[in-house]
Amino acid sequence: MNGEIDRSWRDPELLVKALPSVILQTAFFLAPLLMTVALTFQRTKNFQLTWTWSLDTWTDIFTKPHYWTILGHTLFMAITCVILCLVIAFPVAYALATRLRAFQDHVKVLITFAFLTDATLKTFGWVLFLDKNGAANYLLQQVGFPPATIDILFTDWATMLGMVYNLLSFAIFTIYLSIDAIDRSLILAAYDAGASKFRTFWEVTLPLARPGIWAASVLIFLLAVGVFLEPKVLGGGKSPMSAELIRQTFETRVNWPLGAALTLVLMTVAVFVVLLFNRVYSLKRHMGPV
Amino acid sequence: MAGEPILEIRDIRKNFGAYQALKGVSLSVQQGEFIALVGPSGCGKTTLLKQIAGFEEPDSGSLSIAGQPMLGVPAAARPTSMVFQKLALFPHMTVADNIGFPLKLRKVDPAIIAKRVEAMIELMQLKREYLTRYPRQLSGGEQQRVALARSMISEPKLLLLDEPLSALDVKLKKVLQAELKRLHRSVGVTFVHVTHDLEEAIMLADRICVMRSGEILQVGGPNDIYYRPADSFVAGFIGDTNLLAVTVKGNAVSAPGLTAADPTVPAQYVAPGLGDGPALLMVRPELITPLESGQVADFTIDVTITEIFCKGGTVQFRSNTEGGAPLIFELPGASKQPADIGDKLRLGFPKRDIYLFRERVAA
Amino acid sequence: MAYPTPTPWMNAKTEAQLAGVLLYGSVAAVLIFFYVPIFTLIAFSFQEGRYPTLPFEGVSLKWYGALFENSGARDALWNSTIIAVVATVFATVIGSAAAIVAVRYKFRFRLPFTGLSAAPLAFPQLLLGIVLLLWFSVLGRAFDFNTGLVTAIIGHVVYITPFALVIVAVQVFNFDATLEDAARDCGATTFEVYRYVTLPLLWPGIFSAGIFAFLLSWGNFYLTYSLAGSTRTLPTFVFSGIATGSSPLYPAIATVVFIPGILLVILADRMRRKAA
Ligand SMILES: Nc1ncnc2c1ncn2[C@@H]1O[C@H](COP(=O)(O)OP(=O)(O)O)[C@@H](O)[C@H]1O
Ligand SMILES: [Mg+2]
Repeated sequence: MNGEIDRSWRDPELLVKALPSVILQTAFFLAPLLMTVALTFQRTKNFQLTWTWSLDTWTDIFTKPHYWTILGHTLFMAITCVILCLVIAFPVAYALATRLRAFQDHVKVLITFAFLTDATLKTFGWVLFLDKNGAANYLLQQVGFPPATIDILFTDWATMLGMVYNLLSFAIFTIYLSIDAIDRSLILAAYDAGASKFRTFWEVTLPLARPGIWAASVLIFLLAVGVFLEPKVLGGGKSPMSAELIRQTFETRVNWPLGAALTLVLMTVAVFVVLLFNRVYSLKRHMGPV
Repeated sequence: MAGEPILEIRDIRKNFGAYQALKGVSLSVQQGEFIALVGPSGCGKTTLLKQIAGFEEPDSGSLSIAGQPMLGVPAAARPTSMVFQKLALFPHMTVADNIGFPLKLRKVDPAIIAKRVEAMIELMQLKREYLTRYPRQLSGGEQQRVALARSMISEPKLLLLDEPLSALDVKLKKVLQAELKRLHRSVGVTFVHVTHDLEEAIMLADRICVMRSGEILQVGGPNDIYYRPADSFVAGFIGDTNLLAVTVKGNAVSAPGLTAADPTVPAQYVAPGLGDGPALLMVRPELITPLESGQVADFTIDVTITEIFCKGGTVQFRSNTEGGAPLIFELPGASKQPADIGDKLRLGFPKRDIYLFRERVAA
Repeated sequence: MAYPTPTPWMNAKTEAQLAGVLLYGSVAAVLIFFYVPIFTLIAFSFQEGRYPTLPFEGVSLKWYGALFENSGARDALWNSTIIAVVATVFATVIGSAAAIVAVRYKFRFRLPFTGLSAAPLAFPQLLLGIVLLLWFSVLGRAFDFNTGLVTAIIGHVVYITPFALVIVAVQVFNFDATLEDAARDCGATTFEVYRYVTLPLLWPGIFSAGIFAFLLSWGNFYLTYSLAGSTRTLPTFVFSGIATGSSPLYPAIATVVFIPGILLVILADRMRRKAA
């Protein structure tokens, strides 16, 4: 739609604008990532890295089920988190885009602020709220419930609550953008064709919002796979997820090759899951609803 | 119209990848002229204007303005000014800032800019209180005037207008067409006006340049284009017209169903260089009249009426000849209607103002 | 023959009411959900007693006073500010330039360029932190430096630049490129086109990106935790505090941390509304 301008890499205007980003992400994202791959083939001795090539780390990983149990748990939590986020975010995003004319801006500001506030602090806030002697139970007791009605702190439930809490905004914004982009006249055309509101939603709005839903799913899944704060602070570290395992490997066990390998396994599996879902999703689209 | 042309374009070519947007365009425009570039959407009108204004450089050819070669000269340094198809008013500047922007860039004293802006506002017949408004607070026609004012304030040698009226409703369009004509007369700047509406071009321009898929097909005065089109493409471009397939032999024409006491066509009604063989005979719908029995005309033809449209002032009849070719004719709306759908009718038209030319030249 | 009008499966009025309850209800519920921990923290910061428990022993500002006497907290505040300001400047500038390139220009390797520039967006922060920590450790051993303020800033810039890129890209996408042609036609040089047209029109996007960048950096935990060495920012200071046992000092810190966020988000909203 916009006039796109042909540029060559010799053009100084392109270089000035593109190179900083290229250098930044090459030097501090791509290169470290490649080095991480190289690290997995090294050995450690007495908590010191020795640059000797070996497959020890990988043999270790593929022979110990312990790592895979944790990975499985992580994937389960991440997928659950994605589903919960989508289910909660969709009506909110839909209301933001189609209702709430007057309050839309205010609601957006409120959500943005909550999103941008430091996750550590908010997670800590949940601890104070959910604690056996915390705010929630205190309030419930005031209205006549028995003490400690809510007792989920330091369980997977609290972890999940924290994950959904910290990632929900991504879903709301991404889905909101895709619903907002839908041409209103398409929806009017559906009403005009005799479709009820629900029918229109189901057959027009939802399919057209699919790119946003998909983008939100991928983003949240990739971020959820790497959470560490929630299982540690809200889950009490009782059922560790992969990120916590990786952190421990680096910090407590000082085993860099293993930590690097676990990082790669986590990222590879996560990307693989995304691709798998993408495949199922596009197949379904070609064959129509199953 | 003597002297140096203000704009001289020679054999300009422009490709976008494999697509040839301009296939060797040459055009020369005189000082003070109002020239219209006409052609269907996508034929390269905007592209040609962009080469003149300097937003793009042609792949080959030459271009000079007031005798100065312009290739390689950046847009900012060319004595041209463009009114964009979508106006391109700066949304973050007030009307006054928009109009004064070219002078601000030329480091003109702000007090002088303010005076010149007011003069432009007056010339454009805009209200003074608009000066502090933003473009989006103005109606389409007013925005149009602001865009014109911004383009003219720096006193360019060449004003390039890219379909400036295409987005307006018919009534406003007519008003602004008259306005453009008045501006052109009063300011004396050379106008290059792009439009896809040949009627607008005929109304406004001294000369019209018809384009098709990156080429110039015909350049001429409004009458040339209207009555002596270069081919069927140009002829078909202006409203409804009749193009009868005929065969030319010597100076005489023949076609199935067409009868004439003297089938020869005077040379002034024949396209230059048209030889014997198939040709098209153009006759404008308003020149055709139904014949009562006993009436005669230079050419006569029998038809069956297929459709009748009321066009306000006139009534348009669509019919088929015996050979199956469509024929349109128009009568004043107030007169008694001579026929109904399905009726057979004999039509006649004079030799005067018919035109014989080649079938459309393949692009 | 006329087809019958489709029969809705529910009375239209009931349907509308149900949809209304669901939609408005979900917005209200989510807003409450978002603000539960935030208000809990703010409430606890005003309580008098030594332990953050209910009911309050009294209401006071004493923990705010304690906060400003605590040198660790003061240092953390200072470090947070430095890191956020520097990271914001770099991330916004680099991200905005890259957004213009990615949306407006056509060139070889455009897709790899965009992919590389945006990739950290979908990379879990903790893992990004660890990967960078490894990198800096290896580099640090070779060139003899330790992780600290500078490495934390680099990490923040790597992570935040893609956010800035995406935000500015939306603005660039809606930007009408013919306005630049128009400016050039009015006689503007390349620099003047930027100064008078491109930048003012992209400004709302760049400004939002800047605010977003600042707050992402200001509240960042994961990257700072991995990359700042012994340097503490407010989030990592709070984290270490939670680990050693809760003290009412931390809700007070949290409330202090919220303040620039509230101010900046409100400011951004004002700016946007003025521009619209
Ligand atoms: N920058 C460009 N890149 C590729 N094709 C272009 C570009 N600009 C114009 N074209 C193509 O050139 C042709 C002529 O365009 P244009 O001059 O805008 O036509 P119009 O006569 O409607 O103004 C069109 O087919 C258009 O798609
Ligand atoms: Mg055009």
